[in-house]
Amino acid sequence: MAYTFKGGSRVVEHKNTKDSPIEKLPAPKMVAIPLSQHIGAPCAPTVKAGDEVLRGQVIGEVKNGLGCPVHSSVSGVVRGIVSVNDAKATPVMTVVIENDGLDRLSPEVRPFEKKLSEATTEDIIELVRRAGISGMGGATFPTYAKISSAVDRVDRLIINCAECEPFITANHRLMLERPHEIINGTKILLKALGLRDAYIAVENNKMDAVAKLEEKIAQSKMIHVCIMKTKYPQGDERQLIYAITGKELPAGKLPADVGCVVFNAETCAAIYRAFATGMPLIERVVTVDGDCVQKPRNVLAPIGASYRDLIEFCGGLKKTPEKIINGGPMMGAAQWNIDGPVTKGTSAVLVLSKEMCADTEQDHSCIRCGRCVRNCPMHLMPNYLALFARHGKYDDADKYDILSCVECGTCSYNCPAHVPIVQYIRAAKGTIKAQKSAERAKAKENAANITVN
Amino acid sequence: MNDKNPSGASYPELLTVSPSPHIRHSDTTRSVMTDVIIALVPALIWGVICFGPRAALVVILSVASCVLAEYVFEKITHRKVTIGDCSAAVTGLLLGLSLSSSVPYYMPVVGGVFAIVVAKQLFGGIGKNFMNPALAARVFLFAWPSEMNKFVKPFSRLSLFASGADVDTVATATPLVSLKTGALPDVSMTELILGEVGGCIGEVSVVLLLLGAAYLLCRRVISWHIPVSYIGVVALLTVLFPRNADTGSFVLSQLFSGGLVIGAFFMATDYSTSPITNKGKLIFGALCGALTVLIRYFGGYPEGVSFAILIANSLVYYIDRVTLPRVFGKGGAANG
Repeated sequence: MAYTFKGGSRVVEHKNTKDSPIEKLPAPKMVAIPLSQHIGAPCAPTVKAGDEVLRGQVIGEVKNGLGCPVHSSVSGVVRGIVSVNDAKATPVMTVVIENDGLDRLSPEVRPFEKKLSEATTEDIIELVRRAGISGMGGATFPTYAKISSAVDRVDRLIINCAECEPFITANHRLMLERPHEIINGTKILLKALGLRDAYIAVENNKMDAVAKLEEKIAQSKMIHVCIMKTKYPQGDERQLIYAITGKELPAGKLPADVGCVVFNAETCAAIYRAFATGMPLIERVVTVDGDCVQKPRNVLAPIGASYRDLIEFCGGLKKTPEKIINGGPMMGAAQWNIDGPVTKGTSAVLVLSKEMCADTEQDHSCIRCGRCVRNCPMHLMPNYLALFARHGKYDDADKYDILSCVECGTCSYNCPAHVPIVQYIRAAKGTIKAQKSAERAKAKENAANITVN
Repeated sequence: MNDKNPSGASYPELLTVSPSPHIRHSDTTRSVMTDVIIALVPALIWGVICFGPRAALVVILSVASCVLAEYVFEKITHRKVTIGDCSAAVTGLLLGLSLSSSVPYYMPVVGGVFAIVVAKQLFGGIGKNFMNPALAARVFLFAWPSEMNKFVKPFSRLSLFASGADVDTVATATPLVSLKTGALPDVSMTELILGEVGGCIGEVSVVLLLLGAAYLLCRRVISWHIPVSYIGVVALLTVLFPRNADTGSFVLSQLFSGGLVIGAFFMATDYSTSPITNKGKLIFGALCGALTVLIRYFGGYPEGVSFAILIANSLVYYIDRVTLPRVFGKGGAANG
């Protein structure tokens, strides 16, 4: 029996690229590397226009607070540091580097100086921080911070290879082609966390990858492959933790609160590469797919290459696109700029035509079929939440626990009436959170006044 | 930005930016309603074979008046015309199937208009009505009790222009009338299941209704919860309180007579007017079952399905409220 959870639904898989080996994109003439690719403070540039940079050299560093450095993915000359609007239309300082094509490696890039058995937790955390690794499944939380917050608090390490989003096969290919990177990365994490058991979670539509992993870990008793039922959102860390451990992680809490920590497969591989070669996170596997792409494939792309570079590498367009999505079709972000860059969190670039995209017409009525309720992985009542949100009944929405929604989009995907359920919920959540923090601020102010008086 | 590709497809000047999810399941309201229509077709065909062309015309009038009423009402009130979602056609079909083939032709028309305008549109249209429109109309038509309680013998196919006198010559008592008095119906169990009995156009053939229900269950248009708890409770109550010494035959006759099967699978499962959670559906089904038996045993009419479902309909919002699912991660035993 495959591990699973209650709720969720099958989604059309579109795993068209599962047999396409990872192909390396030749570094483009220009790369644009954003200085904020992680959750936390943006990096301050450590280079300026006209500077020469080497491949793997630090070009941005976080001075204070949460964040990890950014490195150059090519060798060449910095042409400028400009403000570019990212996918959320937030301006982000971006280092534009002209590639000299020489591929000169920075002397900073060298393997870890100790053997794994001699490395301390602090050593590994520092290694991961210096390599600029942040969660590569899309959340982009700085990995070193996740490790250090998990030390002594967790008893289970879970490696997320579920890859439940349609289209994306980047992790699948990684498991098939470089299983040792994932497994060795897992061992490094086990060492850092002082744990003995790790669980690699793979959906059962990737049994070839399961076989490959099991073959590689044959000798080790510390790593277990968990076969998960193919269902969306199986790769959501809440559902993953529940399926494997039976523990429910409430919204707003971290996996460490239930003794678990979850890392993405490619993050794991990046940790191993940093350990073995010293190479920081400057490239990643990106699934380039969608019905507008001539030859969908998996691309090993340097960070900072543009969507256009990737699409051209895949034979260009065959249809006029309606949307370009960074990430999966269920939770990824639609892009406004075809020249936007691949970042550490870009697991896929999907180019979808109008026929493929869900319509955004909003004039439909809920027929109360109940599919959203049946499929909600958080066991909410999305139909009522959307109704409350639509009519501004935020108190009712809060009472029905709207803030527990993880915005996986299963409700909107399955809605036969095409009600933009999760979109309504997302908007209302924003308002409710703002109201709550305003109330808290006011309460605090009042408390302060009372003390003063 | 407008460079051409070899294929001729160009990079667009503008891309659509909208929140996720970006893809959708292929089901639509129309496809769901179409599935319901497909599931009712076998029972409809049997009704026409059994009761003749007059039955077909009754159903056609009912469907047409529902669709037309929806169209006209939405035009007059300047709303978006929604006849394309096929929900009005489903209402018309269910209403037509739950009438006797002998009703005067104005009745399906009056019923259709009542179903759509009063029971559905005045409450805001699809998904917002609290009573099943077809059943509300059917109960409204009990304003003509003699016409509603007149049923013709199977295979006595009435002509399209049959008069009241013609109907009287072929009128028959339905199995439910016998059951009301505690007697077993004077038809065999096989006739009862196959539908060779008097009754409403679409309710008689249990076998074909179950075939359609199986289709809806396979397509996941309906779930098992309401029909199983509905029919289960009827079976339980009639087993516990049989009115005939031959308990087995009495119970089976109760289950296969009248509108129970079409009601449990096709009417009580109406999305707008049934609870949304599985627990709620079980409660709702049980309520329908209990009310049906109560009315069949003690009510003034031999049949109780329509009234039972309508009464249960009115409680749906409250059933939803008391059966809210436990939110993932909130309370419960799983979190130690």
